[in-house]
Amino acid sequence: MKMDACETRDLSVAYREEPVLRRVNFRVPVGGIMGIVGPNGAGKSTLIKAMLGLVTPLTGTSEFFGESLNTVRNRVGYMPQSASVDWDFPTTVVDLATMGTYGALGWFRRPGNAERKRAMDALEQTGMQDFAMRQIGELSGGQKQRAFLARALVQAPDLYFMDEPFQGIDAKSQDAMIGVLKELGAQGKTVVIVHHHLGSVLDFCDHVTLLNKTIVASGSGPETFTTENIRATYDSSNGAETFLTAAE
Amino acid sequence: MSYVLGVMLLACVTALACALPGAFVVLRKNSMIVDGIAHAVLPGIIVGFALTKDLNSPILILGAALAGLVVVLGNEWLSDTGLLAGDAPQGLIFPALFAGGIIMVSTDMQHVHLDTNAVLIGDLNLAAFPAMILNGVNIGPEYLYVMLGVLILNAAFIAAFYSKLKLTTFDRQFATVLGMRTRVLNTAFMFLVSMTVVAAFKAVGAILVVSLLVVPAATAKLISNRLDHMLALSAVFSVVGALAGFWIAYALNTGTSAAMAVIYGILFTLVAIVEKGITRWRRGHKAASGPNELVTVRAKR
Amino acid sequence: MDPIDFFGNHVFRMVFLGTTTIGIVSGALGTFAYLRKQSLISDVISHAALPGALLAFLTAVVVFGINGQNMLLLVIGAVITGTLSAFFANMIAGQTKIAIDTAMAISLTTFFGFGMLLLRIVTNAPLPGKGGIQDYLFGNAASITRADLTTSVAVGAFALALMIVFWKEFALRTFDPVLSTMLGFRARLIDTLMFGTIVIAIVIGIKAVGFVLMVAFIVTPPAAARQWTNRLSSMVILSAVFGGLGSGFGAYLSISMGNVPTGPMIVLLLFAIFVVSLVASPKRSIIVAGWRHAKARHALKQELLAEGESR
Repeated sequence: MKMDACETRDLSVAYREEPVLRRVNFRVPVGGIMGIVGPNGAGKSTLIKAMLGLVTPLTGTSEFFGESLNTVRNRVGYMPQSASVDWDFPTTVVDLATMGTYGALGWFRRPGNAERKRAMDALEQTGMQDFAMRQIGELSGGQKQRAFLARALVQAPDLYFMDEPFQGIDAKSQDAMIGVLKELGAQGKTVVIVHHHLGSVLDFCDHVTLLNKTIVASGSGPETFTTENIRATYDSSNGAETFLTAAE
Repeated sequence: MSYVLGVMLLACVTALACALPGAFVVLRKNSMIVDGIAHAVLPGIIVGFALTKDLNSPILILGAALAGLVVVLGNEWLSDTGLLAGDAPQGLIFPALFAGGIIMVSTDMQHVHLDTNAVLIGDLNLAAFPAMILNGVNIGPEYLYVMLGVLILNAAFIAAFYSKLKLTTFDRQFATVLGMRTRVLNTAFMFLVSMTVVAAFKAVGAILVVSLLVVPAATAKLISNRLDHMLALSAVFSVVGALAGFWIAYALNTGTSAAMAVIYGILFTLVAIVEKGITRWRRGHKAASGPNELVTVRAKR
Repeated sequence: MDPIDFFGNHVFRMVFLGTTTIGIVSGALGTFAYLRKQSLISDVISHAALPGALLAFLTAVVVFGINGQNMLLLVIGAVITGTLSAFFANMIAGQTKIAIDTAMAISLTTFFGFGMLLLRIVTNAPLPGKGGIQDYLFGNAASITRADLTTSVAVGAFALALMIVFWKEFALRTFDPVLSTMLGFRARLIDTLMFGTIVIAIVIGIKAVGFVLMVAFIVTPPAAARQWTNRLSSMVILSAVFGGLGSGFGAYLSISMGNVPTGPMIVLLLFAIFVVSLVASPKRSIIVAGWRHAKARHALKQELLAEGESR
């Protein structure tokens, strides 16, 4: 049997008394890009956060490569929604990327040349090497996301979680990032990505999960991302209708 | 060591001991919580005294630092209930604790020689008075060595947890996913801040200790692109302000900590104005020298 | 001490009426600071009132040669520096990369440090009528004179009158700053008026309560009132009632218990009112809500688990 990169069993999350996720059974096969798609408030970010232990689930468990998160932490990377950080924080782009190595650093250890070299390589991959010495607040939206992607790359995990990495960025940055993601997929890495824009899902996702508080459909891209399934996920919400009319 | 030199050194060491954790306080947006901690010191000390009957006991420092932690955790708890808006939780607990402290001082324990004015303002000259004598040689104020100990403790903590502190401050969620115990680290750090405040309040007072923690670090933040630079600059500004404040107070015969606070405030304002001017000039320069290849609009929260 | 003795005594009566006035005015106006989510600015303003009060004292004594501890002068001086400190904090937050909490701490300590320098100068200098000036630190309710009371009532009533006249503007600015600007209300003017009234509420309390504890008068009553009501008008009234009751009763208690300072006693009572509100208010009580919350989560969990088994 082929092992899954990650799997949840009966995962439920409630904020206060409102259930956000109801008994989600979610698996991601090893290798390729899995897009999680769904309307606003469907619990897409919450699913990722609950799996990574950032939100305490009401019921259910998550496993990564057949193990608990604590034992395989170094194989799991995360790129949070970036809007929440303090952009005036005194840190440069290369500094930010280097933070991806911090998980492996012990007491009194500070990142040295080896770590810095890895950070620079990752910045090159995302086309950010020229901005390495900039303070992060001086970047445009797309550049910021590319810097955060570089940080995730520096972690060098086998499984990446990305929470809406394309939010508010320019086309050039999006293309650059999709190129990196495809490359990761080709190397046999697994990427789980929360994605908002229906139109571009099939451009880069090998697998798709449609989520609205519970899993509506999950599987390989073209088979899952059907008009019928999308309708079922979005009910009658406008975004989907517009997209569907445009597609027809 | 001469008395004046002792006071001057004490001012510098106290300022340094505060400025190092202060950098993280500013970045974590905890500045006004430190104000609350500083006020909770009073009841902490009084309760500690009631238990130990000794104003110089180390247990006293521990007790007062715990009282500071009550403010920190109480704030968090009140915020988490979701019943209060804005920064109100931070303004609810410390006045009550402080009021309790004053009532304890003025009723039961009037025999405690704890001048409430001194608690608020502190007196560096008084704190520097008992000298440390080693083999018959005066090696400076006893209190200088207490603050030196605090400085070393703070520096060691920051050195040991530098990367972890930096990451939990900047991006707590990412730090959690990397497996860092962010909650434990946060509590330990706030306890350290609380202890620094307790140790320093005798010399500079409960309100002005906030200045020593926050203002040099904020000044450094204005002109730092890297955290290590910010820490170094905080240290520089804190010592410069301490020396200037000390000599002004000496010349005018006023309180050292008050003079330090005013100098820090002026230093901050000057640096802010100069930084602003330079940024504006640079931007104008760039705009004049051709099309800008990237948008350098700084995101304002 | 029974109430007849208490109110028969002139000093006690002044303390009672003076602190009650402070409690009502700061309770009512603190509501706006609370709803604007800027409660802590009151701490900055009250600390910055010290140099203002001392400058007013110095001006009166040195320049005009009159009694420096006149309540009206004190209020004017304190209003000026208090407003400047709030302005300074907001300017730092708006113009630099320093966040508002740090900006408030910078403003607070700088103004207060300056106040402490002045205090030392006043104490060292041979000036007439400086006795009791140290009281500004912690306040001294027993020092309230009839003239002070008249001033507090008049100035406080003025601030409350401003609030009533500009009620509609204040309310809209509080709940929907964007809409209020779009409708053509002059945002800056209304903010200045609103924070001006809050500054007044703070400074009339300084002499009796001291600046350290004044923050509790602005923050605590609205936080308590908020637990009982969702409407602005009833919140302002309830907050004023809490402030007035806590202050009056606190003054009475502190005097009848003997050697207990008034300001701290009131602050403890206000805090008690807040705690009771947090626990006992019917809709938001933390105990009832916490229990209901835990029960609902438990029920939800059971429901989800049962769903799983039936599949």
